[in-house]
Amino acid sequence: MRLPLSSRKAEPDAPGVRPQMLWSLSPRSDREAGDAIASNFMFHAFPAKVSKASMAWNYSFWLGTISAALFFLLILSGLPLLFLYVPSVERAYQSVKDIEFVITFGSWIRAVHRIAAHGMVIAVFLHLVRVFLTGAYKNGVGRGQHREWNWVLGVVMLLLTLFLSFTGYLLPWDQLAFWAVTVGTNIASSIPWVGATVRELLIGGRTIEQATLIRFYVLHVVILPLALGVIVAYHMWRVRKDGGLARAEHETLAERPIDTPVVKTKTYTLLGVARGQAPVIRAQALEAPDTTVNAVPDLVRRTAIATLGTFAVISIMAVFIASPLEEPANALVTPNPAKAPWYFLWLQEIVTDTTIRIGSFTVNGAFVGGVLLPGLLIGLLTAWPWLDKSSHLATGVWLPRVRARQNTVFLLVVLGILILTFIGMALRGPYWYFYWPWEAWPDIPARI
Amino acid sequence: MEQRTNSPFPSIDRPVMALVGVVLVIGTVLFMWSDRAKDWRFYQMEFKSLVAEQFGEEKAATVPSGLQQIWVADLQRADRCTTCHQGVAWKGFEKAEHPYRTHPEAPLRTHPLEEFGCTSCHGGQGWAIETDAAHGQVAHWEEPLLSRTLGEEYTLSGDKNALMQMNCNTCHRYDRETAGAAAINLAKRMVNEKGCRACHVINGFGGTIGPDLTEVGDKAPEQYDFSRLSGQRTAFAWHVAHFRDPRALAEGTVMPNFNFTTEQAQALSMLVLSWRRHDVPARYLAGAPRTDPRSAEELAAEEAMKTGPGRWFVDTGCFVCHSVSALGVKSPAQIGPDLSTAVEDTQSRFGMTVDAFLANPTGTMSVVLSRQIILTPEQKKTAVEKLREAFAEYQRQRAAGTAPAVSH
Repeated sequence: MRLPLSSRKAEPDAPGVRPQMLWSLSPRSDREAGDAIASNFMFHAFPAKVSKASMAWNYSFWLGTISAALFFLLILSGLPLLFLYVPSVERAYQSVKDIEFVITFGSWIRAVHRIAAHGMVIAVFLHLVRVFLTGAYKNGVGRGQHREWNWVLGVVMLLLTLFLSFTGYLLPWDQLAFWAVTVGTNIASSIPWVGATVRELLIGGRTIEQATLIRFYVLHVVILPLALGVIVAYHMWRVRKDGGLARAEHETLAERPIDTPVVKTKTYTLLGVARGQAPVIRAQALEAPDTTVNAVPDLVRRTAIATLGTFAVISIMAVFIASPLEEPANALVTPNPAKAPWYFLWLQEIVTDTTIRIGSFTVNGAFVGGVLLPGLLIGLLTAWPWLDKSSHLATGVWLPRVRARQNTVFLLVVLGILILTFIGMALRGPYWYFYWPWEAWPDIPARI
Repeated sequence: MEQRTNSPFPSIDRPVMALVGVVLVIGTVLFMWSDRAKDWRFYQMEFKSLVAEQFGEEKAATVPSGLQQIWVADLQRADRCTTCHQGVAWKGFEKAEHPYRTHPEAPLRTHPLEEFGCTSCHGGQGWAIETDAAHGQVAHWEEPLLSRTLGEEYTLSGDKNALMQMNCNTCHRYDRETAGAAAINLAKRMVNEKGCRACHVINGFGGTIGPDLTEVGDKAPEQYDFSRLSGQRTAFAWHVAHFRDPRALAEGTVMPNFNFTTEQAQALSMLVLSWRRHDVPARYLAGAPRTDPRSAEELAAEEAMKTGPGRWFVDTGCFVCHSVSALGVKSPAQIGPDLSTAVEDTQSRFGMTVDAFLANPTGTMSVVLSRQIILTPEQKKTAVEKLREAFAEYQRQRAAGTAPAVSH
């Protein structure tokens, strides 16, 4: 039997939902707020409550959320491009020109995709830096915590992000793409013994051709996004399982347990009901109402701010920053200078600096800069949670004293990478010669 | 009932959220506006009003609006030039300013827009729909519009519009003379007069002292040595200077100084830059053979047939199927019987005279004579005469014992 409309209105349609013109979610109690999380598919990844400290803008800078938002935006903007881009050496360049010039919103969509991709490399890197500096890969006192594995996943996701960006780099099939990938894959070929095979596997032959394009395309639009998506989901699940952000851990550990307020209650005795007070409970901070807020609406709102804010910024940037598209790929003409994608330029810089020529004898820098050093860094990064023996009290704290030395070394390495990247991006001109910013590069000659 | 826990966040987060919403809306308006704000909309509006002024509103209503494109699949060109240059095919705007001006009619008659597009002759970037990008005056586009302005920048002596002839030579590469390409023609004469092939391979033949010039136009600008060139750093400027004084640009070169005039040096530079590896379908290439190549013997035999006594059968097309061996006509196909004995054959095969048969043919000949070789009554009379002549000749040869074997 259908209930009359008025009687149906009395109960919320879903936990905390009361239909209104502009905003329907209005939980009246903590329980309703929690139910709203539990019963909503979009919210199911959230906890019912979250510590106030983890919500702070200046602890995590919401870099993980921003990374995820950018990944989502990349999928969104990638979908229309899938319909328009043709992965063939004859048509790819032409189809990108069409996207740039005549597709409705085409150049904006491409710019969103490109800026979001570069932004994601930056956001994921900064997220990793933040997690390192706050020791957020460390476990606290909770049971079943394995934050170190989430850190390993994070390193894997950084590499996936770089590889995703790198595979996308080739797709426009212009000079920029062709030579960036040439430089990138040549670095891979300097791995001892298997280098040539790795390069051949990567580009599907010995020259960058149709076989390379289709490999990079399939990796870029199917395999890598799928892999990253799965790992992101697992990463989020682990965050929940490890008891939220490490910051929450720190609160639990560092702050004195809080006495929950005394509530009037009934005590059932053998012979009846005794009016009185419940025993005072010394609650752990995580459970205490003063240190937590409900995920609905506070966490949801902040997540929306971070996500939609990211979208808004990228959207506006994409209107003003045009995506480059150089001459069609030409294997016979090397642009001067030929540069790897910017996030690999620190490696290219090291490759140049470690290539030493003494007479006719050459020390190949590609092995040092392209294999040894990045391999060592990634290995160290992955193993660091097991090498870091500092107290668990340093979990989720910005730059604690006990981790001062490792944080300093880490920051120096990061600074080195940034400086080398800057040199590669801005100070290297034709023939990889060094040019100060105020020095003009020689004019690039034209045909006519 | 339980109450909500107090939260310190909404007071700040709500306005921030509202701000994010506003920024999102601004972003959306911005990108939608930037997609619409294009100069071509203005040019189309202007052209419409020009047409209305000159030919009335009714005509103006037929002017197409929106992005226009000429897609030439054979040349893989999508030229959107007509989005702004809408007057190209309209008569009456010969004196109008660009982009509304009518295109001169003569070149379009032999080079229709649908088959050639715009950029295959003019250069520029056909894909683009913004002036600078479309005219190729942007970074990373190496085919600028070969315009009068560019010619003036190079202070071309003679026709300032001559640079475009470089693109003529894409298809007219193997012509000795190309109508309307005076500079290229001059340069081609120079190549022969000065004997460039003594040292250089051009189109697959020539000496090997200098570099092969067959595809020299594809040499990238980065591959030239500009260190001894002052002024414009372009491949074209390099070639002009090099033609005028080879040793000034390339130290130790053995290329002699031919004392070319500026006009000759510029024309030669256009010519060598036009020598590129273009994937042009064969039907676009002027002078490319349209038939299978024939041997010298075949050509001589055909020439003999055309000038011999059987000439009429060759001209009329009978020889495609029939030999007339008595008159020295040999069909390459020999599908039909030898016509030397046709006068006799029609009697024995069809029971009628050759006159009657030609007037009222049966079988294959009824199809051939009604569709492929259509003869007027006078021509039919001539045919009968010629067949009789052939038969007479056949009989004469038989009597003399020199008649060729006649196949039926």
